Amino acid sequence: MTSSPSVPPAPPGQIAAQIARVLAVIDVGSTSVRMKIAQVHADGRIDTLETLQQTISIGKDTFTQREISRETIELCVKALRSFALKLREYGLDPARQLRAVATTAVREALNSQAFLDRIFIATGIEVEVLDEAEVARLTYHAAQSLIDQRPNWADSPTLVAEVGGGSTELLVLRGKTIEAARTFRVGSLRMREALETYRAPVGRHRQIMRNQAQRMVNQFRQEADLDGPIRLAVMGGDARFAAAHLHTEWDGRRPVRLDLIPLEALTDEILALSVDELVQKYRLSFPDAETLGPALLTFLELARGVGVDHLHVAVSSMRDGLISELASLTVWTPEFRQQVIRSAIELGRKYHFDEAHGAHVAARSRTLFQALADEHQLPPKFDLLLHVAAILHEVGLYISFKSHHKHSMYLIQNSELFGLGAKDLLLVALVARYHRRAAPKPTHFGYATLDRESRIAVAKLAAILRVADALERSHSQRVRSLEISRKPGKFIITVPDIDDLSIEQMAMRQKADMFEQTYGMRVVLRVGRTTHT
Amino acid sequence: MNKPHDPSHTLINRDLSWLEFDHRVLGEARDPANLPLERVRFLAITGSNLDEFMMVRVGGIQLLRAQGVVRKDASHLSPHEQLQAIHERVRRLVDDQQHCFARELTPLLELHGVRCVRPADLTADQHDHARRIFEDEVFPLLTPRAIEPDAIFPLLMNLVLRLGVRLAPDPAAVPGGDPARPRYAFISLGKKLSRFISLPAATARYEYILLEDLVAHFIDRLFPGETIEECIPFRITLNADLIVREDLAADLMEQMEAVLEARKQSDCVRLEIDARVGNDQCAFLQEALGVADEDTYRIPGPLDLAGFMALANLSGFDDLRNEHWPPQQSPIVDPTEPVFDAIAARDILLYHPFESFDPVQRFIEEAAADPDVLAIKQILYRTSGDSPIVAALMRAAQKGKYVTAVVELKARFDEARNIEWARALELEGVQVIYGVRGLKTHAKCCLVVRREPDGLRRYMHFGTGNYNESTARLYCDASYFTADADLGVDASQFFNAITGYSEPQAFRKLEMAPVTLRERLIELIQSETERKKQGQPALILAKINALVEPSIVHALYEASQAGVEIRLNVRGICCLRPGVAGVSENIRVVSVIDRFLEHARILYFHQGGEEKVFISSADWMPRNLLRRVELLTPIEDAASKQKLIDILHICLADNVKAHELTPDGRYTKLSPGEDPPVRSQQRLYEIAREATREAAQLRRTVFQPHRPAG
Repeated sequence: MTSSPSVPPAPPGQIAAQIARVLAVIDVGSTSVRMKIAQVHADGRIDTLETLQQTISIGKDTFTQREISRETIELCVKALRSFALKLREYGLDPARQLRAVATTAVREALNSQAFLDRIFIATGIEVEVLDEAEVARLTYHAAQSLIDQRPNWADSPTLVAEVGGGSTELLVLRGKTIEAARTFRVGSLRMREALETYRAPVGRHRQIMRNQAQRMVNQFRQEADLDGPIRLAVMGGDARFAAAHLHTEWDGRRPVRLDLIPLEALTDEILALSVDELVQKYRLSFPDAETLGPALLTFLELARGVGVDHLHVAVSSMRDGLISELASLTVWTPEFRQQVIRSAIELGRKYHFDEAHGAHVAARSRTLFQALADEHQLPPKFDLLLHVAAILHEVGLYISFKSHHKHSMYLIQNSELFGLGAKDLLLVALVARYHRRAAPKPTHFGYATLDRESRIAVAKLAAILRVADALERSHSQRVRSLEISRKPGKFIITVPDIDDLSIEQMAMRQKADMFEQTYGMRVVLRVGRTTHT
Repeated sequence: MNKPHDPSHTLINRDLSWLEFDHRVLGEARDPANLPLERVRFLAITGSNLDEFMMVRVGGIQLLRAQGVVRKDASHLSPHEQLQAIHERVRRLVDDQQHCFARELTPLLELHGVRCVRPADLTADQHDHARRIFEDEVFPLLTPRAIEPDAIFPLLMNLVLRLGVRLAPDPAAVPGGDPARPRYAFISLGKKLSRFISLPAATARYEYILLEDLVAHFIDRLFPGETIEECIPFRITLNADLIVREDLAADLMEQMEAVLEARKQSDCVRLEIDARVGNDQCAFLQEALGVADEDTYRIPGPLDLAGFMALANLSGFDDLRNEHWPPQQSPIVDPTEPVFDAIAARDILLYHPFESFDPVQRFIEEAAADPDVLAIKQILYRTSGDSPIVAALMRAAQKGKYVTAVVELKARFDEARNIEWARALELEGVQVIYGVRGLKTHAKCCLVVRREPDGLRRYMHFGTGNYNESTARLYCDASYFTADADLGVDASQFFNAITGYSEPQAFRKLEMAPVTLRERLIELIQSETERKKQGQPALILAKINALVEPSIVHALYEASQAGVEIRLNVRGICCLRPGVAGVSENIRVVSVIDRFLEHARILYFHQGGEEKVFISSADWMPRNLLRRVELLTPIEDAASKQKLIDILHICLADNVKAHELTPDGRYTKLSPGEDPPVRSQQRLYEIAREATREAAQLRRTVFQPHRPAG
């Protein structure tokens, strides 16, 4: 399963007039398995049709035993089986209209593969494990709706926090721009389990949890340069519980403001109660009761850390992010593309790369990618992956010139790029690696792990990158525009405005082999005389 | 009755309140203003009500007493005191029933040509006829059962009328036995034979002999060669208050069948026996069944008055019954237009049986036939097996729609019927859910998911009555159709919760028992209290069938003390004691008993002028609020809301068929006095008829050309 499924068209055979599409997402989280079914109207409006939830404490297994127990797996199977029935009721095709994801609790389990296989065999649902970057991307998508609901927030920064069972996402947004993003392995269930595992004395629980939250806040403050005034918005079921509790008239549909003083009082009240008492008093499920206290405490520490006296509770969740991502036609919006590219440039700067060269090669790659659309048949997402690879193809020079393509590969692969999951990151790293020297070989590290489709995609992209790089051999950004034409067996690039292309032509002779092998066309580089007459 | 002014006795005992309800129904049987066969019908209802009371209440309290429980209930009575009060009240009720039958209805019916003939009074002609009927139709079905001394006493079926026969001793039978020992035999009269055997009579007259009299008259035929010393009818009532132990059995279906078995063997809580019985046989039965004197009722007239419902339905003699009030086709639902179109245009509120139940049935039938319908979800509780709704669900499943039926197997006394057709539904591919573990699903909701040009749309029906077209002709219930998107999400969540697809989640508009319904009701009551304290006008109007839940009663007392005006229309049990100074002087409780069974639950809270109106499946009883799945549905559509408010005001204004609850726990019949008489059911019927008539007139003034289809 890829991390960005193509968006399904309306299933064939349905009434033609139907414009609204029904989509579903499943989220296998630390404390529950949930499904959301929504319909997306032609104008982009998204209506929730149903939300389903089964409390299953996968996180408890993972965070204490490091693996998911047989019993828990079967509970998940049972829940997902009933979700699958629901999908059939709506006539949804799981392959096209469903995205099922799992987060930390599954990701960190030693038997995660066995878990996913069991689920697939029993239910036909393919659950994809999201890595941290993807969770951040979804949190970003979910946060969009919050920003959309508060247009006057566009100018000043907002810290968006989602405290999950196993991890916490922190994002700093200014308008729709991400200024910083980071995932911490600090989660409400993890905190609770840690207390139990280490048998911390009850009287110290609160202080231990506070310390963990404080460490996270301090670290993020330094990393993200959070000095000026900032507002805090929090997401998740625990936050919504607090909002519903402190604002009894709240309809749960608009973001709501919570002042710290009553929130603190509520947190004190909740931390003073045992899990059993919480279940009794607030009619919570056991896992929800377990995470509530630590989550609220984390919110308070975040608020204190950034020096605010109130916070905002957002109503969207990661599942809304999944839905909107599944629903958006381009999969990744222009804003999102920009976020990824910005993050790549940030990374390049860290390694003192030639920014102008990277940007230029990226621009030329893009032209070629678009011109070759009929040949490569790759979805638009690969345009972005190629773009990032082109920007970063020479970061390895930071280590050494020798084998710098290999240095580029591991630097990229071991970095965090906003919004790109591990698999996408590997593709980017490989494309950068193959910008020079050896063509891909099945024995190559990383390349060997790819499926056939991805191997072909790497070859197609790397071939383009090599041609674009050859055009920028001078490192002077002199090839500003291209004209493409084709003759049988030839891919003709005409460069206007330049009289002498000998450097580029020489480079092309070295670098166009891969293109020829991949696309079956010889690259011919010509001086664009026609434009001079 | 408890002392009204003692603040510790602020609640009325629920069982005595139940018996007061029976007493009010009996009042209708005794009311000369009612037509003769209607009076018979009310008498029969008191019989079946009392049967149910004995089955579901007395056994439980007896058990408490047997276990030595002395703790007092909410009305400050110990189990022992409750039983004493119950027995005393029941005996009075039985005396009144018998008085009504013998002294009032029997002569009245004779006057109108309906006569019960005792065997001694049979004419020769009638005697021949009776003998023939006995020989041909009755005798072959009877199986006398000798009760062997020392053998295990047979299990007797609940509520079945029997003859107990004492035979003369047979000295030869038991060598060395006690020659003087009487022998007994029982004859079950079963449920198949008609209780009323028609006899030849003059034109325009109906004469009958009761089955038990007929069999007793020809009893010799069943015991050839024996001397029959006594032959008297008796009937036993078994304790039905068996809790289904869901945690023990794996398969609910199997378990329900087991409950039916168990019911045949449970404890006897009442022995009714013809007053002519001799001491020997009475003592024999009491000992064999383990029934004490206090639970033995010697009845001077016919047993099983519930069986007289058949007489009330006697064909012919229509002038002895109410004129028919045919349900009206409400003009808000055009019968020529698909129900979905009507609901899409506006929310629809119907009040049955004044307005026809047909649209509800059509809703499900059209959904079954509509190719754009994806799914139908429906609660079925006390539905008949041959119901057109069940048939429509099967058709829908055959067409590949996703049909979910939540079939409540625990509907009291209907289990056998339910199990049969639930299996038939399953065979047709309907996903059948047998209720929720530990809870009875009593909510009335149907959800239809339909694909429309601009997306999926959900249509809902929320009701206060069961999806049963026959009871819908006799019960006053509200039906609410809507396509409101929020209620649609809620309805889906509701079904997901009860079918186990999902855990219950917060609703947008609905409230569900046992999760939040009771808390929400109390909140609404307290909110009126709070508003009153702040000087705003405050008003609570409610129409329900029973009010038992102490937390709600106390919230209402507080509201009354704050000055909130509270007017309740409670058909049956009401533990709230109204009109007590300093406690409940602002609360008035009336109860209406008329030709249709009052069954709707409609609630109104003034809310500072925002007027919140709800319909609900739940009565205000602990069992409904804590042990059943129930719904509270807000009615937001302005026209529907106003219609319900009007209905509430009419029901509360009744001064013809209404009784008012007095502080001592008794009921006084209201009379119009100087005021214009208001008979609420009649008024509601007239309103429905008027609306239909006006719409018909309007149609006549507009020509509607027939156009080609498409």
